[in-house]
Amino acid sequence: MNLNKETAAEKARKDLADRLNIEADSIKTVSIEDKEFSDMSLGASVGDEMAAQMISYGYQINLEADDENYEYRGDKYQLRLVDFEGSNYMIESY
Amino acid sequence: MNKTNFWKHLGIAAVIISIAAIFGQIRNWQSQISERLANDATVIEVSYKPIAIKRTQSDTEPEVLVKFRPDVSLDYIKEIAAKNNDYVEDEIESVNNLVAIDDLDNLDAESVAKQYGDMSDLVEYAEPNYEISINQERFTEDYVGYAEIVKEDDKPVTAPNDPMFNEQWALNNDGQGGGKEKAHLDALKAWLKTQGSQDVVVAVLDTGVDYTQQDLVNNMWFRPENVPAYTDDELGTIDDERGFNADENSGDPMDQNGHGTHCSGIIGAEGNNGLGIAGINWKVKIMPLKFLGRGGFGSTKNAIEAINYAIDRKKAGVNIRVINASWGSTQNSKALEDAIRAAGEQGILFVAAAGNNGTDNDKRPHYPSNYNLPNVISVAAMDRNDQLASFSNYGIKTVHIAAPGKEIVSTWLNAGFREASGTSMAAPQVAGVAALILADNPKMKVETLRKKLLNSVDKLDVLEGKVENGGRLNAAKALSE
Repeated sequence: MNLNKETAAEKARKDLADRLNIEADSIKTVSIEDKEFSDMSLGASVGDEMAAQMISYGYQINLEADDENYEYRGDKYQLRLVDFEGSNYMIESY
Repeated sequence: MNKTNFWKHLGIAAVIISIAAIFGQIRNWQSQISERLANDATVIEVSYKPIAIKRTQSDTEPEVLVKFRPDVSLDYIKEIAAKNNDYVEDEIESVNNLVAIDDLDNLDAESVAKQYGDMSDLVEYAEPNYEISINQERFTEDYVGYAEIVKEDDKPVTAPNDPMFNEQWALNNDGQGGGKEKAHLDALKAWLKTQGSQDVVVAVLDTGVDYTQQDLVNNMWFRPENVPAYTDDELGTIDDERGFNADENSGDPMDQNGHGTHCSGIIGAEGNNGLGIAGINWKVKIMPLKFLGRGGFGSTKNAIEAINYAIDRKKAGVNIRVINASWGSTQNSKALEDAIRAAGEQGILFVAAAGNNGTDNDKRPHYPSNYNLPNVISVAAMDRNDQLASFSNYGIKTVHIAAPGKEIVSTWLNAGFREASGTSMAAPQVAGVAALILADNPKMKVETLRKKLLNSVDKLDVLEGKVENGGRLNAAKALSE
């Protein structure tokens, strides 16, 4: 199974709702944009993770909740949350 | 037994059998429901949480990498671990007293690392080892193009008959695709000297390699009969017939991503075989070391395990002279640095991608390319016009050389070929030329090899102040000087 943008956006909203302890309905999807990333961790490596240094293609999901912006990055293999309280997180990986 | 007792016992037996039958049926239903859930992803509700996962006793991944001081014995290390309710999950043999320790109390990795780090009289350093959560779903990678077998016997031997050779601007740039003439490695001239040797083994530390790829299959390493199977105290014996998979601790390094296969083609796709592309080495041996998973990312600990494997094989007589590392991050690991140093002590050159953030590695270090070791070469990426690629990292002190890394065509999964860009594609150009030099001069020491690569470049104004030697790789010069 691969992640598509719509599925990824739903998963991102659910993840953010869980983290912020709010209803998913109160989270606004600001945009979902195709994007080029610097490496295979989509420029958002986690912990001591190492990533292949090949330019990769995916999408960026921008969400808004309580007047704050949140960024998720995904491609067909993975979905990551970027710089949430100073850290990146892997949300899902295929 | 009287009649009344008989009926009592019969009644009890009937009740027990009925209860057992009901439980059995419930288990059946549970099993059917589980199976259905597993087959129908749409009904599974999973809460995905941060990835620095908590471990339990049943988990196999270690929590921390700990380097004990040289005078601490392994028995004492095990004793210390046991006292902390931990156990030594793996010993990294290539680095003295470096062990992976698994915590049995389900503490977070940072706390365990601190616990060991605080024992400064016994411990040099302790680092958390994170495991990345992965879902084991399979995927298939898109690929572009198929090779066509074209025989062109009338071409001179130095121009290989591989049908996609004209697209390989990195090897021979005659201005194709709007490029600049001679912004290349000058492979045609280099091949007059040598086209490689199957006595030289290049380890590709990556996502694995598709060892069935038709343009690579004849240049893949197989463990020779006189080299025993790989044995590790903790992992046991692994039949490493085709290399090593540190991601799954197996002897099957099949690539499920494509990246490692792409790097391998640059180094050593079979040349002049009327198929696909030509590698820098027409003949070489590619040893796949897999530690990056299907998504193209993996743990530092598994990278160390794979380097440890390569060192073991070198000691067992396999002529591994180069490790290509087309990966990295900004996370520093002394354990990884120690493993790479140990590889250098065995005469292995370590070629690393400088990274793709377009930033200065002198100011924002990228690893492993930034390790200041005598066997490490850090590589920036160039485009077909001899310009530093916009994505490429640079650094006058920490990036040593530039090489073609944009719009590079090479081997891919499913018998495919595709173009890719990144310092990932630049590093194997250097690794490939290193192998070519070694084919011509097999006994060359790693320090000399490194100097030769760095001193025989095409100096370019655009690289002044960007990379240490101010130049782009040139295979012909490296073989002639």
